[in-house]
Amino acid sequence: MKTSVLAFGLMAATALTSQAHADKLDDIIASGTLRCAVVLDFPPMGSRDASNNPIGFDVDYCNDLAKALGVTAEIVETPFPERIPALMSGRVDVGVASTSDTLERAKTVGMTVPYFAFQMAVTSNDKTGIKSFEDMKGKVVGATAGTYEAIALEKQVKEWGAGEFRPYQTQADVFLALSQGQLDATVSTSTVAQANVKTGKFPGISVVGNAPFDIDYVALFTNREEYGLINYLNLFINQQVRTGRYNELYEKWVGGEVPSLAVNGVYR
Amino acid sequence: MFNYTFHWNQALKALPQMLDGALVTLQIALLSMIIGMAIAIALTLFRLSGNRLLGGFATAWVEVARNTPALFQIYMAHFGLGNFGIHLSPFVALLVGIAFNNAGYLAENFRGALKAIPETQTRAGRSLGMTSLQAFRLIVMPQMLRVAFLPATNQMVWAILMTSLGVTVGMNTDLAGVTQELNARSFRTFEFFAIAAVIYYVIAKAVTLAARVFAARMFRY
Repeated sequence: MKTSVLAFGLMAATALTSQAHADKLDDIIASGTLRCAVVLDFPPMGSRDASNNPIGFDVDYCNDLAKALGVTAEIVETPFPERIPALMSGRVDVGVASTSDTLERAKTVGMTVPYFAFQMAVTSNDKTGIKSFEDMKGKVVGATAGTYEAIALEKQVKEWGAGEFRPYQTQADVFLALSQGQLDATVSTSTVAQANVKTGKFPGISVVGNAPFDIDYVALFTNREEYGLINYLNLFINQQVRTGRYNELYEKWVGGEVPSLAVNGVYR
Repeated sequence: MFNYTFHWNQALKALPQMLDGALVTLQIALLSMIIGMAIAIALTLFRLSGNRLLGGFATAWVEVARNTPALFQIYMAHFGLGNFGIHLSPFVALLVGIAFNNAGYLAENFRGALKAIPETQTRAGRSLGMTSLQAFRLIVMPQMLRVAFLPATNQMVWAILMTSLGVTVGMNTDLAGVTQELNARSFRTFEFFAIAAVIYYVIAKAVTLAARVFAARMFRY
């Protein structure tokens, strides 16, 4: 009698503790849905097609991840500034949102190894005659608030001690302001710059050269303490490159030389 | 589901920067009120003038200002005018947008205040030999401003809160802009937004209290 009570108690305790140990990876698999935060005004990484469906590199990447996990993907549109609130309030599981892996941000969220790398380019209004990064000194420049390039460009404007920096909330607003002549130039990822100039929606602007910022490595992110999930994501990124899927997606959405995700001379 | 550890000490380091932003916020709100008040008085006079063109203009202004979102008005001041080659800086666009909104609401305040002043006052003034403009300026307007003063402080609070919409037109020096930027850099969303909310609250409360003290001293019978 006594032993059976004890045994039952132990069983109940194990069941309870194993419940409590279910981590986010378990939760995602159990729920059958992977909810990804994706920025959808950031072509070619994320945008909408003519019938309003989300498309882009990040969208495909999320779908691949969901397939690997054996669940269905749900794309949750999040503008750049809302990526973290969306994660913290539990509206999304993973950010597939071209997020630069700065040390400052890593204090708040858990970053994976890089899954994509951006080169920065200068796009200018044709009337300004800006032909290079240095020409931007003393001009009115802007970028999308909350991005790596916005932070770097603002710092640069302060160092120059001349000109003005304006952050806009969306990439589309930046190019609209640039096309109207409210901005003289902008720095954005070269892939995004090419894609936006190509749409023809923003007349009178062109990509004029590279910006001498460091390569912008971007990572997937999730809650900082979810090591199980972060481990899985790291392996997933590794496998995407190994299996050639990364090259395939790069060719599909961007084209040209595939950027290396490895940093020379150091382990991660 | 909400697991988040607050890093207050890190966030509070940015407090001086945020207070600088709060000053800009207050500056825009004050300027927009002064401009809005001047325009509102003009609009009120237009409506009183009996001139159909001026009256129509004033009515149209009030209708648009009161029945469209402030966000839309500010966005139009920046990107809308920008489309026609008129380039307002984020600061000016925000100021113009809020002043436009203020003028519309204040004009309605003034109209209500005017209704509260018996017409006999004007007649009494006229019978003392004043011109109609003098009667308006010396008798009606002081009383109108007195009646409209406390409702107008509401608009001032509203103006302070509306400045936060400036981020949509690239404003980065006011409180909301500074907060957004700190948030983008560190992702400490909840700390920075909580601090910003407290600062907004304190400013708004201080304005209301100051207005009450001012009114108690100015409008003694």
